[in-house]
Amino acid sequence: MVDLSVSLAGLPLANPILSASGTFGHGLEMEGFVPPQALGAWVSKTVTLKPRPGNPMPRIAETRAGFLNSIGLENRGVDAYIEETLPRLAERGARVITNVGGEEVDDFARVTERLTERPEIDAFEVNLSCPNVSGGRLPFSTDPEVAERVLRAVKGVTDKPVLAKLSPNVTRIGEIAQGAEAGGADGLTAVNTVLGLGVDWRTRRPLLNTVVGGYSGSAIHPIALRCAWECLQATGLPVVGCGGIGGPEEALAFLCLGCHAVQVGTASFSDPSLLAGLAARVGALLEELGVETLEEYRGSFQVPQPAPLAARS
Amino acid sequence: MAAPPPDARSLESELVSLRPVGSDAIVLRLRLPGSVPLLRAGRFFMLRRPDRLSPPIPRPFSLYRQEGSELEFLIKVIGPGTRALAATPPGQPLTVIGPLGRGWPTLDDASPWVAVAGGIGSAPFYEGIRQSLAGMDGAAPVSPRSWTLIYGGREEGMLYDLECFEELGVRVLPATDDGSRGFHGNAIDCLRAEWGAGRLPLRPRLLGCGPEPMMIALAALARDQDLECHLSLETYMGCGVGICNGCAVPTTPEGPLGAWPVAKCCTDGPVFPADAIRLEP
Repeated sequence: MVDLSVSLAGLPLANPILSASGTFGHGLEMEGFVPPQALGAWVSKTVTLKPRPGNPMPRIAETRAGFLNSIGLENRGVDAYIEETLPRLAERGARVITNVGGEEVDDFARVTERLTERPEIDAFEVNLSCPNVSGGRLPFSTDPEVAERVLRAVKGVTDKPVLAKLSPNVTRIGEIAQGAEAGGADGLTAVNTVLGLGVDWRTRRPLLNTVVGGYSGSAIHPIALRCAWECLQATGLPVVGCGGIGGPEEALAFLCLGCHAVQVGTASFSDPSLLAGLAARVGALLEELGVETLEEYRGSFQVPQPAPLAARS
Repeated sequence: MAAPPPDARSLESELVSLRPVGSDAIVLRLRLPGSVPLLRAGRFFMLRRPDRLSPPIPRPFSLYRQEGSELEFLIKVIGPGTRALAATPPGQPLTVIGPLGRGWPTLDDASPWVAVAGGIGSAPFYEGIRQSLAGMDGAAPVSPRSWTLIYGGREEGMLYDLECFEELGVRVLPATDDGSRGFHGNAIDCLRAEWGAGRLPLRPRLLGCGPEPMMIALAALARDQDLECHLSLETYMGCGVGICNGCAVPTTPEGPLGAWPVAKCCTDGPVFPADAIRLEP
Protein backbone atom coordinates (compact mmCIF):
# COMPACT_ATOMS: atom_id res chain seq x y z
CA MET A 1 0.00 0.00 0.00
CA VAL A 2 1.41 3.33 -1.06
CA ASP A 3 1.24 6.02 1.62
CA LEU A 4 -0.90 8.72 -0.01
CA SER A 5 -1.04 11.06 2.97
CA VAL A 6 -0.09 14.64 2.37
CA SER A 7 0.05 17.85 4.35
CA LEU A 8 -1.70 20.68 2.52
CA ALA A 9 -0.91 24.10 4.00
CA GLY A 10 -0.56 22.47 7.41
CA LEU A 11 -3.71 20.42 6.97
CA PRO A 12 -3.02 16.68 7.11
CA LEU A 13 -4.99 14.78 4.45
CA ALA A 14 -5.33 11.01 4.15
CA ASN A 15 -5.02 11.31 0.38
CA PRO A 16 -4.63 14.08 -2.19
CA ILE A 17 -8.05 13.67 -3.87
CA LEU A 18 -10.52 16.50 -3.27
CA SER A 19 -13.84 17.38 -4.85
CA ALA A 20 -13.89 20.62 -6.85
CA SER A 21 -16.18 23.34 -5.60
CA GLY A 22 -19.58 23.44 -7.24
CA THR A 23 -19.43 19.91 -8.56
CA PHE A 24 -20.15 17.90 -5.45
CA GLY A 25 -22.82 19.84 -3.53
CA HIS A 26 -21.66 20.05 0.05
CA GLY A 27 -20.50 16.44 -0.09
CA LEU A 28 -23.36 15.20 2.05
CA GLU A 29 -25.57 14.73 -0.97
CA MET A 30 -23.12 12.27 -2.44
CA GLU A 31 -22.76 9.80 0.39
CA GLY A 32 -24.64 7.14 -1.56
CA PHE A 33 -21.97 7.32 -4.25
CA VAL A 34 -18.81 8.30 -2.39
CA PRO A 35 -18.14 7.45 1.28
CA PRO A 36 -16.78 10.50 3.14
CA GLN A 37 -13.50 8.78 4.05
CA ALA A 38 -12.68 8.17 0.37
CA LEU A 39 -11.72 11.80 -0.12
CA GLY A 40 -8.84 13.78 1.32
CA ALA A 41 -11.36 16.59 1.81
CA TRP A 42 -14.73 17.79 0.60
CA VAL A 43 -14.70 21.23 -0.96
CA SER A 44 -18.09 22.89 -0.62
CA LYS A 45 -20.08 24.71 -3.21
CA THR A 46 -19.37 28.44 -2.99
CA VAL A 47 -21.04 30.05 0.02
CA THR A 48 -21.91 33.75 -0.28
CA LEU A 49 -23.09 36.29 2.27
CA LYS A 50 -26.58 36.58 0.81
CA PRO A 51 -28.61 33.87 -0.92
CA ARG A 52 -28.12 33.81 -4.69
CA PRO A 53 -30.80 32.31 -6.94
CA GLY A 54 -28.26 31.77 -9.73
CA ASN A 55 -28.51 32.51 -13.42
CA PRO A 56 -31.44 31.90 -15.78
CA MET A 57 -31.65 28.77 -17.90
CA PRO A 58 -30.06 27.28 -19.88
CA ARG A 59 -27.17 26.99 -17.44
CA ILE A 60 -25.32 24.04 -18.88
CA ALA A 61 -24.38 22.65 -22.26
CA GLU A 62 -22.25 19.80 -23.46
CA THR A 63 -19.82 20.37 -26.29
CA ARG A 64 -17.77 17.80 -28.16
CA ALA A 65 -14.83 17.87 -25.76
CA GLY A 66 -16.17 19.43 -22.61
CA PHE A 67 -18.86 21.09 -20.60
CA LEU A 68 -20.05 24.70 -20.47
CA ASN A 69 -21.75 26.07 -17.39
CA SER A 70 -23.15 29.27 -16.09
CA ILE A 71 -24.80 28.38 -12.80
CA GLY A 72 -24.09 31.75 -11.21
CA LEU A 73 -23.17 30.55 -7.72
CA GLU A 74 -26.69 29.48 -6.78
CA ASN A 75 -26.59 28.99 -3.03
CA ARG A 76 -28.74 29.74 0.00
CA GLY A 77 -26.24 32.01 1.68
CA VAL A 78 -24.06 31.76 4.75
CA ASP A 79 -26.93 31.69 7.27
CA ALA A 80 -28.49 28.62 5.67
CA TYR A 81 -25.05 27.02 5.42
CA ILE A 82 -24.55 27.50 9.15
CA GLU A 83 -28.03 26.39 10.14
CA GLU A 84 -28.65 23.52 7.74
CA THR A 85 -25.41 22.19 6.29
CA LEU A 86 -22.72 22.46 8.96
CA PRO A 87 -24.57 20.55 11.69
CA ARG A 88 -24.87 17.61 9.31
CA LEU A 89 -21.23 17.81 8.28
CA ALA A 90 -20.22 17.54 11.93
CA GLU A 91 -21.45 13.94 12.08
CA ARG A 92 -19.34 12.80 9.16
CA GLY A 93 -15.79 13.27 10.36
CA ALA A 94 -14.77 14.31 6.84
CA ARG A 95 -12.25 17.07 6.23
CA VAL A 96 -14.13 20.10 4.96
CA ILE A 97 -12.81 23.01 2.94
CA THR A 98 -15.46 25.68 2.63
CA ASN A 99 -15.35 27.72 -0.56
CA VAL A 100 -16.39 31.35 -0.06
CA GLY A 101 -17.34 33.90 -2.69
CA GLY A 102 -18.51 37.47 -2.99
CA GLU A 103 -19.22 40.45 -5.19
CA GLU A 104 -17.05 42.90 -3.21
CA VAL A 105 -13.70 42.48 -1.47
CA ASP A 106 -15.38 42.91 1.89
CA ASP A 107 -17.92 40.12 1.20
CA PHE A 108 -15.23 37.44 1.28
CA ALA A 109 -14.05 38.52 4.72
CA ARG A 110 -17.57 38.82 6.09
CA VAL A 111 -18.52 35.29 5.03
CA THR A 112 -15.26 33.88 6.36
CA GLU A 113 -15.70 35.74 9.63
CA ARG A 114 -19.12 34.16 10.11
CA LEU A 115 -17.66 30.71 9.56
CA THR A 116 -14.17 30.73 11.03
CA GLU A 117 -15.14 29.57 14.53
CA ARG A 118 -17.05 26.58 13.20
CA PRO A 119 -15.19 23.40 14.15
CA GLU A 120 -16.62 21.50 11.14
CA ILE A 121 -14.54 23.64 8.78
CA ASP A 122 -10.86 22.78 8.40
CA ALA A 123 -9.85 25.35 5.80
CA PHE A 124 -11.22 27.92 3.38
CA GLU A 125 -10.94 28.28 -0.35
CA VAL A 126 -11.51 31.77 -1.71
CA ASN A 127 -13.32 31.75 -5.04
CA LEU A 128 -11.56 34.60 -6.80
CA SER A 129 -12.41 33.25 -10.18
CA CYS A 130 -16.05 32.46 -10.87
CA PRO A 131 -16.67 33.53 -14.47
CA ASN A 132 -20.43 33.56 -14.04
CA VAL A 133 -20.89 36.50 -11.70
CA SER A 134 -20.16 40.19 -12.16
CA GLY A 135 -20.88 39.77 -15.86
CA GLY A 136 -17.80 37.63 -16.45
CA ARG A 137 -15.45 40.44 -15.50
CA LEU A 138 -13.48 38.28 -13.08
CA PRO A 139 -12.76 41.29 -10.88
CA PHE A 140 -10.74 39.41 -8.25
CA SER A 141 -8.61 37.08 -10.32
CA THR A 142 -7.24 39.28 -13.08
CA ASP A 143 -5.42 41.89 -11.03
CA PRO A 144 -2.69 40.81 -8.57
CA GLU A 145 -3.36 43.77 -6.28
CA VAL A 146 -7.07 42.99 -5.98
CA ALA A 147 -6.31 39.32 -5.33
CA GLU A 148 -3.90 40.43 -2.64
CA ARG A 149 -6.55 42.66 -1.04
CA VAL A 150 -9.11 39.85 -0.95
CA LEU A 151 -6.64 37.43 0.61
CA ARG A 152 -5.45 40.00 3.14
CA ALA A 153 -9.05 40.68 4.14
CA VAL A 154 -9.84 36.98 4.55
CA LYS A 155 -6.60 36.20 6.39
CA GLY A 156 -7.41 39.07 8.72
CA VAL A 157 -10.44 37.21 10.07
CA THR A 158 -9.30 33.58 10.21
CA ASP A 159 -6.37 31.53 11.45
CA LYS A 160 -7.40 28.53 9.34
CA PRO A 161 -5.56 27.73 6.12
CA VAL A 162 -6.84 29.70 3.11
CA LEU A 163 -6.48 28.59 -0.49
CA ALA A 164 -6.95 31.05 -3.34
CA LYS A 165 -8.73 29.58 -6.35
CA LEU A 166 -7.35 31.21 -9.46
CA SER A 167 -8.68 31.74 -12.96
CA PRO A 168 -6.89 30.53 -16.09
CA ASN A 169 -8.36 33.50 -17.96
CA VAL A 170 -5.35 35.75 -17.50
CA THR A 171 -2.17 36.45 -19.40
CA ARG A 172 0.25 35.55 -16.59
CA ILE A 173 -1.34 33.50 -13.80
CA GLY A 174 1.94 33.52 -11.88
CA GLU A 175 1.50 37.23 -11.18
CA ILE A 176 -1.97 36.66 -9.72
CA ALA A 177 -0.53 33.80 -7.67
CA GLN A 178 2.11 36.17 -6.31
CA GLY A 179 -0.60 38.67 -5.41
CA ALA A 180 -2.47 36.00 -3.48
CA GLU A 181 0.77 34.97 -1.77
CA ALA A 182 1.48 38.57 -0.79
CA GLY A 183 -2.03 38.75 0.69
CA GLY A 184 -1.24 35.79 2.93
CA ALA A 185 -2.72 32.83 1.04
CA ASP A 186 -1.61 29.49 2.42
CA GLY A 187 -2.08 27.71 -0.89
CA LEU A 188 -3.47 28.04 -4.40
CA THR A 189 -6.03 26.12 -6.38
CA ALA A 190 -5.25 26.14 -10.08
CA VAL A 191 -7.62 26.45 -11.84
CA ASN A 192 -11.24 27.43 -12.22
CA THR A 193 -13.05 27.06 -15.56
CA VAL A 194 -11.85 28.53 -18.84
CA LEU A 195 -14.11 31.20 -20.32
CA GLY A 196 -16.01 29.73 -23.25
CA LEU A 197 -18.97 30.26 -25.54
CA GLY A 198 -21.21 27.83 -27.39
CA VAL A 199 -23.41 28.59 -30.40
CA ASP A 200 -26.42 26.66 -31.62
CA TRP A 201 -25.98 27.38 -35.32
CA ARG A 202 -29.50 26.22 -36.09
CA THR A 203 -31.41 28.43 -33.66
CA ARG A 204 -28.68 31.12 -33.88
CA ARG A 205 -28.65 31.39 -30.11
CA PRO A 206 -25.96 30.94 -27.47
CA LEU A 207 -25.93 27.59 -25.67
CA LEU A 208 -25.88 29.42 -22.33
CA ASN A 209 -28.24 32.13 -21.23
CA THR A 210 -25.31 34.31 -20.18
CA VAL A 211 -23.67 33.79 -23.61
CA VAL A 212 -20.22 33.31 -22.04
CA GLY A 213 -19.65 30.71 -19.33
CA GLY A 214 -17.09 28.41 -17.78
CA TYR A 215 -15.63 25.58 -19.84
CA SER A 216 -14.44 22.42 -18.09
CA GLY A 217 -13.77 18.74 -18.63
CA SER A 218 -11.01 16.74 -20.30
CA ALA A 219 -10.27 19.45 -22.84
CA ILE A 220 -8.88 21.85 -20.25
CA HIS A 221 -6.47 19.43 -18.57
CA PRO A 222 -3.32 20.66 -20.37
CA ILE A 223 -4.36 24.27 -19.75
CA ALA A 224 -4.77 23.51 -16.05
CA LEU A 225 -1.41 21.72 -15.88
CA ARG A 226 0.29 24.70 -17.45
CA CYS A 227 -1.39 27.05 -14.97
CA ALA A 228 -0.45 24.86 -12.01
CA TRP A 229 3.13 24.71 -13.28
CA GLU A 230 3.34 28.48 -13.54
CA CYS A 231 1.92 28.88 -10.03
CA LEU A 232 4.45 26.41 -8.65
CA GLN A 233 7.26 28.33 -10.29
CA ALA A 234 6.00 31.78 -9.31
CA THR A 235 5.41 31.17 -5.60
CA GLY A 236 6.50 28.95 -2.75
CA LEU A 237 2.89 28.04 -1.98
CA PRO A 238 1.40 24.56 -2.15
CA VAL A 239 -0.79 24.20 -5.24
CA VAL A 240 -3.95 22.14 -5.64
CA GLY A 241 -4.28 21.10 -9.28
CA CYS A 242 -7.72 21.24 -10.81
CA GLY A 243 -8.89 20.80 -14.39
CA GLY A 244 -9.84 17.89 -16.60
CA ILE A 245 -9.13 15.02 -14.25
CA GLY A 246 -11.08 11.97 -15.39
CA GLY A 247 -8.92 9.23 -13.91
CA PRO A 248 -5.76 8.56 -11.91
CA GLU A 249 -3.40 9.46 -14.77
CA GLU A 250 -4.47 13.12 -14.86
CA ALA A 251 -4.33 13.31 -11.07
CA LEU A 252 -0.78 11.96 -11.13
CA ALA A 253 0.24 14.51 -13.76
CA PHE A 254 -0.58 17.34 -11.33
CA LEU A 255 1.16 15.54 -8.46
CA CYS A 256 4.22 14.87 -10.62
CA LEU A 257 4.50 18.62 -11.27
CA GLY A 258 4.60 19.16 -7.53
CA CYS A 259 0.98 19.82 -6.63
CA HIS A 260 0.10 18.77 -3.09
CA ALA A 261 -3.42 17.69 -4.00
CA VAL A 262 -5.92 17.69 -6.82
CA GLN A 263 -9.59 18.48 -7.27
CA VAL A 264 -11.98 16.59 -9.51
CA GLY A 265 -15.01 18.38 -10.96
CA THR A 266 -16.84 17.70 -14.19
CA ALA A 267 -15.92 13.99 -14.20
CA SER A 268 -18.20 13.49 -11.19
CA PHE A 269 -21.12 14.40 -13.46
CA SER A 270 -20.13 11.62 -15.81
CA ASP A 271 -19.68 9.17 -12.95
CA PRO A 272 -20.81 10.24 -9.47
CA SER A 273 -18.92 7.27 -7.99
CA LEU A 274 -15.60 8.18 -9.60
CA LEU A 275 -14.15 9.74 -6.45
CA ALA A 276 -14.93 6.66 -4.37
CA GLY A 277 -12.11 4.70 -5.97
CA LEU A 278 -9.82 7.36 -7.35
CA ALA A 279 -7.33 7.54 -4.48
CA ALA A 280 -6.88 3.76 -4.56
CA ARG A 281 -6.32 3.90 -8.32
CA VAL A 282 -3.69 6.62 -7.87
CA GLY A 283 -2.02 4.42 -5.27
CA ALA A 284 -2.10 1.39 -7.58
CA LEU A 285 -0.34 3.30 -10.35
CA LEU A 286 2.30 4.59 -7.95
CA GLU A 287 2.85 1.02 -6.78
CA GLU A 288 3.47 0.03 -10.40
CA LEU A 289 6.23 2.64 -10.46
CA GLY A 290 7.74 1.12 -7.33
CA VAL A 291 6.97 4.25 -5.33
CA GLU A 292 6.25 3.82 -1.61
CA THR A 293 5.00 7.24 -0.62
CA LEU A 294 3.26 10.04 -2.47
CA GLU A 295 5.79 12.48 -1.01
CA GLU A 296 8.56 10.60 -2.78
CA TYR A 297 6.78 10.98 -6.14
CA ARG A 298 5.36 14.49 -5.72
CA GLY A 299 7.33 17.09 -7.66
CA SER A 300 9.52 14.54 -9.41
CA PHE A 301 8.79 16.14 -12.78
CA GLN A 302 11.96 16.25 -14.89
CA VAL A 303 12.41 18.58 -17.81
CA PRO A 304 15.01 17.21 -20.25
CA GLN A 305 17.64 19.70 -21.37
CA PRO A 306 18.68 18.49 -24.83
CA ALA A 307 21.40 20.30 -26.69
CA PRO A 308 19.92 22.95 -29.01
CA LEU A 309 19.84 22.13 -32.70
CA ALA A 310 22.40 24.01 -34.68
CA ALA A 311 21.15 26.02 -37.64
CA ARG A 312 22.43 25.03 -41.07
CA SER A 313 22.84 27.47 -43.86
CA MET B 1 -30.59 20.36 0.65
CA ALA B 2 -31.79 18.25 -2.23
CA ALA B 3 -30.03 14.91 -2.25
CA PRO B 4 -30.17 12.06 -4.75
CA PRO B 5 -32.48 9.21 -3.74
CA PRO B 6 -30.89 6.75 -1.29
CA ASP B 7 -31.35 3.86 -3.74
CA ALA B 8 -29.48 5.62 -6.58
CA ARG B 9 -26.24 3.99 -7.69
CA SER B 10 -23.78 4.21 -10.53
CA LEU B 11 -23.89 0.80 -12.19
CA GLU B 12 -22.69 -1.05 -15.21
CA SER B 13 -25.57 -2.69 -17.07
CA GLU B 14 -25.71 -4.86 -20.16
CA LEU B 15 -27.49 -3.72 -23.28
CA VAL B 16 -29.98 -6.48 -24.09
CA SER B 17 -31.67 -5.17 -27.22
CA LEU B 18 -32.55 -2.15 -29.31
CA ARG B 19 -35.95 -2.10 -30.96
CA PRO B 20 -36.69 0.64 -33.51
CA VAL B 21 -40.07 2.31 -32.94
CA GLY B 22 -41.82 4.91 -35.05
CA SER B 23 -39.88 7.08 -37.42
CA ASP B 24 -36.97 8.16 -35.20
CA ALA B 25 -36.92 6.36 -31.85
CA ILE B 26 -35.73 3.17 -30.18
CA VAL B 27 -36.70 1.10 -27.19
CA LEU B 28 -33.42 0.38 -25.44
CA ARG B 29 -33.55 -2.59 -23.11
CA LEU B 30 -30.85 -3.21 -20.55
CA ARG B 31 -30.24 -5.58 -17.69
CA LEU B 32 -29.10 -4.37 -14.29
CA PRO B 33 -26.92 -6.58 -12.10
CA GLY B 34 -28.77 -8.43 -9.34
CA SER B 35 -32.45 -8.21 -8.55
CA VAL B 36 -34.24 -4.89 -8.88
CA PRO B 37 -37.29 -3.97 -6.82
CA LEU B 38 -40.30 -2.43 -8.58
CA LEU B 39 -39.21 1.11 -9.49
CA ARG B 40 -41.72 3.89 -9.19
CA ALA B 41 -43.09 5.00 -12.53
CA GLY B 42 -41.90 8.43 -13.55
CA ARG B 43 -38.40 8.03 -12.13
CA PHE B 44 -35.44 8.21 -14.48
CA PHE B 45 -31.91 7.03 -15.14
CA MET B 46 -28.84 8.72 -16.59
CA LEU B 47 -27.38 6.64 -19.42
CA ARG B 48 -24.08 6.75 -21.24
CA ARG B 49 -21.54 4.50 -22.83
CA PRO B 50 -18.75 3.58 -20.41
CA ASP B 51 -16.05 5.20 -22.55
CA ARG B 52 -17.02 8.66 -21.19
CA LEU B 53 -16.65 10.02 -24.71
CA SER B 54 -19.97 9.30 -26.30
CA PRO B 55 -21.44 11.27 -24.73
CA PRO B 56 -19.13 12.63 -22.01
CA ILE B 57 -22.11 13.69 -19.92
CA PRO B 58 -24.81 11.05 -19.42
CA ARG B 59 -28.37 11.68 -20.64
CA PRO B 60 -31.54 11.42 -18.57
CA PHE B 61 -34.31 9.04 -19.69
CA SER B 62 -37.57 8.12 -18.01
CA LEU B 63 -38.09 4.52 -17.10
CA TYR B 64 -40.38 3.29 -19.86
CA ARG B 65 -41.02 -0.26 -18.78
CA GLN B 66 -39.65 -2.62 -16.14
CA GLU B 67 -39.60 -6.38 -16.22
CA GLY B 68 -37.67 -7.54 -13.17
CA SER B 69 -34.07 -6.49 -13.56
CA GLU B 70 -34.58 -5.58 -17.22
CA LEU B 71 -35.46 -1.96 -17.88
CA GLU B 72 -36.65 -0.33 -21.07
CA PHE B 73 -36.16 3.25 -22.17
CA LEU B 74 -38.02 4.94 -25.00
CA ILE B 75 -35.47 7.18 -26.67
CA LYS B 76 -35.85 9.63 -29.55
CA VAL B 77 -32.61 9.55 -31.52
CA ILE B 78 -31.92 13.22 -31.95
CA GLY B 79 -28.33 14.21 -31.18
CA PRO B 80 -24.82 12.85 -30.57
CA GLY B 81 -25.70 11.34 -27.18
CA THR B 82 -28.76 9.42 -28.30
CA ARG B 83 -27.04 8.43 -31.56
CA ALA B 84 -24.18 6.93 -29.56
CA LEU B 85 -26.64 4.95 -27.44
CA ALA B 86 -28.56 3.79 -30.51
CA ALA B 87 -25.33 2.62 -32.14
CA THR B 88 -24.30 0.45 -29.19
CA PRO B 89 -24.37 -3.27 -30.05
CA PRO B 90 -26.38 -5.61 -27.80
CA GLY B 91 -24.19 -7.36 -25.25
CA GLN B 92 -22.13 -4.23 -24.66
CA PRO B 93 -22.03 -2.54 -21.27
CA LEU B 94 -23.84 0.74 -20.61
CA THR B 95 -23.27 2.87 -17.55
CA VAL B 96 -26.46 3.80 -15.72
CA ILE B 97 -26.95 6.14 -12.80
CA GLY B 98 -30.20 5.67 -10.98
CA PRO B 99 -32.96 5.25 -10.18
CA LEU B 100 -33.24 9.02 -9.87
CA GLY B 101 -35.88 11.60 -9.08
CA ARG B 102 -39.35 11.31 -7.66
CA GLY B 103 -41.87 9.62 -9.88
CA TRP B 104 -45.58 10.15 -10.35
CA PRO B 105 -47.75 10.70 -7.30
CA THR B 106 -49.91 7.77 -6.22
CA LEU B 107 -52.08 7.15 -9.27
CA ASP B 108 -55.10 5.97 -7.29
CA ASP B 109 -58.80 5.72 -8.11
CA ALA B 110 -60.04 8.75 -6.17
CA SER B 111 -61.00 10.37 -9.49
CA PRO B 112 -60.25 9.64 -13.18
CA TRP B 113 -56.92 10.37 -14.81
CA VAL B 114 -56.33 12.01 -18.16
CA ALA B 115 -52.73 11.69 -19.30
CA VAL B 116 -51.55 13.95 -22.09
CA ALA B 117 -48.43 12.82 -23.94
CA GLY B 118 -46.61 14.66 -26.69
CA GLY B 119 -44.30 12.56 -28.85
CA ILE B 120 -41.49 11.02 -26.83
CA GLY B 121 -43.25 12.42 -23.74
CA SER B 122 -45.24 9.19 -23.64
CA ALA B 123 -42.24 7.46 -22.05
CA PRO B 124 -43.15 7.85 -18.35
CA PHE B 125 -46.82 6.94 -18.92
CA TYR B 126 -46.57 3.28 -19.83
CA GLU B 127 -45.23 2.18 -16.46
CA GLY B 128 -47.39 4.81 -14.72
CA ILE B 129 -50.61 3.41 -16.14
CA ARG B 130 -49.48 -0.17 -15.62
CA GLN B 131 -48.61 0.44 -11.96
CA SER B 132 -51.86 2.32 -11.43
CA LEU B 133 -53.88 -0.57 -12.87
CA ALA B 134 -52.05 -2.93 -10.53
CA GLY B 135 -52.56 -0.65 -7.52
CA MET B 136 -49.92 1.82 -6.33
CA ASP B 137 -48.65 2.40 -2.79
CA GLY B 138 -51.22 0.00 -1.33
CA ALA B 139 -54.12 1.74 -3.12
CA ALA B 140 -56.76 -0.40 -4.83
CA PRO B 141 -56.14 -1.28 -8.47
CA VAL B 142 -57.54 1.42 -10.73
CA SER B 143 -60.03 0.37 -13.39
CA PRO B 144 -58.82 0.86 -16.98
CA ARG B 145 -62.04 2.86 -17.47
CA SER B 146 -60.63 5.52 -15.15
CA TRP B 147 -57.76 6.20 -17.55
CA THR B 148 -57.59 8.17 -20.77
CA LEU B 149 -54.32 8.67 -22.62
CA ILE B 150 -54.25 11.43 -25.21
CA TYR B 151 -51.19 10.72 -27.31
CA GLY B 152 -50.20 13.48 -29.72
CA GLY B 153 -47.43 13.57 -32.29
CA ARG B 154 -46.47 15.43 -35.45
CA GLU B 155 -47.32 12.39 -37.55
CA GLU B 156 -48.16 8.74 -37.06
CA GLY B 157 -44.49 7.77 -36.91
CA MET B 158 -44.12 9.89 -33.79
CA LEU B 159 -46.79 7.99 -31.87
CA TYR B 160 -44.11 5.66 -30.58
CA ASP B 161 -45.15 2.16 -29.54
CA LEU B 162 -48.83 3.16 -29.72
CA GLU B 163 -49.97 -0.48 -29.79
CA CYS B 164 -48.26 -1.19 -26.47
CA PHE B 165 -50.22 1.62 -24.85
CA GLU B 166 -53.44 0.32 -26.41
CA GLU B 167 -52.70 -3.14 -25.04
CA LEU B 168 -52.89 -1.71 -21.51
CA GLY B 169 -56.66 -1.68 -22.05
CA VAL B 170 -57.15 2.00 -21.26
CA ARG B 171 -58.77 4.50 -23.61
CA VAL B 172 -56.07 5.81 -25.95
CA LEU B 173 -56.79 8.79 -28.18
CA PRO B 174 -54.12 9.32 -30.82
CA ALA B 175 -53.78 12.79 -32.31
CA THR B 176 -51.51 13.92 -35.12
CA ASP B 177 -50.72 17.36 -36.46
CA ASP B 178 -51.01 16.09 -40.02
CA GLY B 179 -54.05 13.93 -39.39
CA SER B 180 -52.24 10.74 -40.39
CA ARG B 181 -53.63 8.95 -37.32
CA GLY B 182 -56.55 9.68 -35.01
CA PHE B 183 -57.59 13.24 -34.20
CA HIS B 184 -56.34 15.86 -36.66
CA GLY B 185 -54.56 18.34 -34.41
CA ASN B 186 -52.31 18.41 -31.39
CA ALA B 187 -52.88 16.72 -28.05
CA ILE B 188 -54.29 19.87 -26.41
CA ASP B 189 -56.74 20.43 -29.28
CA CYS B 190 -57.80 16.81 -28.88
CA LEU B 191 -58.25 17.25 -25.13
CA ARG B 192 -60.43 20.34 -25.65
CA ALA B 193 -62.49 18.66 -28.36
CA GLU B 194 -63.11 15.53 -26.30
CA TRP B 195 -63.97 17.58 -23.27
CA GLY B 196 -66.28 19.86 -25.23
CA ALA B 197 -68.07 16.80 -26.60
CA GLY B 198 -68.57 15.40 -23.10
CA ARG B 199 -66.44 12.35 -23.78
CA LEU B 200 -64.07 12.97 -20.88
CA PRO B 201 -64.79 12.88 -17.15
CA LEU B 202 -65.98 16.25 -15.87
CA ARG B 203 -63.34 16.62 -13.15
CA PRO B 204 -60.32 14.52 -14.14
CA ARG B 205 -56.86 14.77 -12.72
CA LEU B 206 -54.35 15.69 -15.41
CA LEU B 207 -50.88 14.36 -16.10
CA GLY B 208 -48.62 15.76 -18.80
CA CYS B 209 -45.33 15.08 -20.47
CA GLY B 210 -44.32 16.58 -23.77
CA PRO B 211 -42.99 19.64 -25.54
CA GLU B 212 -42.97 22.94 -23.71
CA PRO B 213 -45.91 24.60 -25.54
CA MET B 214 -48.06 21.56 -24.73
CA MET B 215 -47.05 21.68 -21.08
CA ILE B 216 -47.74 25.41 -20.84
CA ALA B 217 -51.19 24.93 -22.39
CA LEU B 218 -51.99 21.99 -20.12
CA ALA B 219 -50.90 23.87 -17.00
CA ALA B 220 -53.02 26.87 -18.07
CA LEU B 221 -56.02 24.64 -18.64
CA ALA B 222 -55.59 23.02 -15.24
CA ARG B 223 -55.33 26.45 -13.62
CA ASP B 224 -58.40 27.79 -15.39
CA GLN B 225 -60.50 24.73 -14.54
CA ASP B 226 -59.01 24.30 -11.08
CA LEU B 227 -57.91 20.74 -11.81
CA GLU B 228 -55.11 18.80 -10.17
CA CYS B 229 -52.24 18.49 -12.63
CA HIS B 230 -48.78 16.92 -12.50
CA LEU B 231 -46.15 17.48 -15.15
CA SER B 232 -43.08 15.38 -15.89
CA LEU B 233 -40.43 17.80 -17.15
CA GLU B 234 -37.48 17.36 -19.41
CA THR B 235 -34.47 19.64 -18.91
CA TYR B 236 -30.79 19.64 -19.70
CA MET B 237 -29.14 17.78 -16.86
CA GLY B 238 -25.46 17.72 -16.05
CA CYS B 239 -25.49 15.07 -13.36
CA GLY B 240 -29.00 13.89 -12.43
CA VAL B 241 -28.04 13.68 -8.76
CA GLY B 242 -28.40 17.28 -7.61
CA ILE B 243 -24.81 18.47 -7.60
CA CYS B 244 -24.46 20.54 -10.78
CA ASN B 245 -27.44 22.92 -10.36
CA GLY B 246 -27.86 22.88 -14.13
CA CYS B 247 -31.45 21.64 -14.34
CA ALA B 248 -33.05 24.53 -12.49
CA VAL B 249 -36.81 24.99 -12.89
CA PRO B 250 -38.30 28.33 -11.79
CA THR B 251 -40.80 27.92 -8.96
CA THR B 252 -43.98 29.87 -8.25
CA PRO B 253 -43.67 31.93 -5.06
CA GLU B 254 -47.03 30.71 -3.74
CA GLY B 255 -46.45 27.04 -4.63
CA PRO B 256 -45.11 24.22 -2.46
CA LEU B 257 -41.52 24.84 -3.64
CA GLY B 258 -41.80 28.61 -3.43
CA ALA B 259 -39.27 29.06 -0.62
CA TRP B 260 -36.51 29.14 -3.26
CA PRO B 261 -36.70 30.71 -6.76
CA VAL B 262 -35.70 27.49 -8.54
CA ALA B 263 -36.14 23.78 -8.00
CA LYS B 264 -33.85 21.04 -9.26
CA CYS B 265 -35.58 19.00 -11.92
CA CYS B 266 -33.45 15.96 -11.06
CA THR B 267 -33.99 15.71 -7.31
CA ASP B 268 -37.14 17.78 -6.72
CA GLY B 269 -38.77 16.39 -9.90
CA PRO B 270 -38.90 15.43 -12.66
CA VAL B 271 -42.62 15.28 -11.81
CA PHE B 272 -43.93 18.52 -10.35
CA PRO B 273 -47.38 19.74 -9.38
CA ALA B 274 -48.21 22.16 -12.20
CA ASP B 275 -48.87 25.00 -9.76
CA ALA B 276 -45.41 24.65 -8.19
CA ILE B 277 -43.43 25.65 -11.25
CA ARG B 278 -43.26 28.40 -13.84
CA LEU B 279 -42.98 27.11 -17.39
CA GLU B 280 -43.29 30.33 -19.37
CA PRO B 281 -39.89 31.67 -20.45
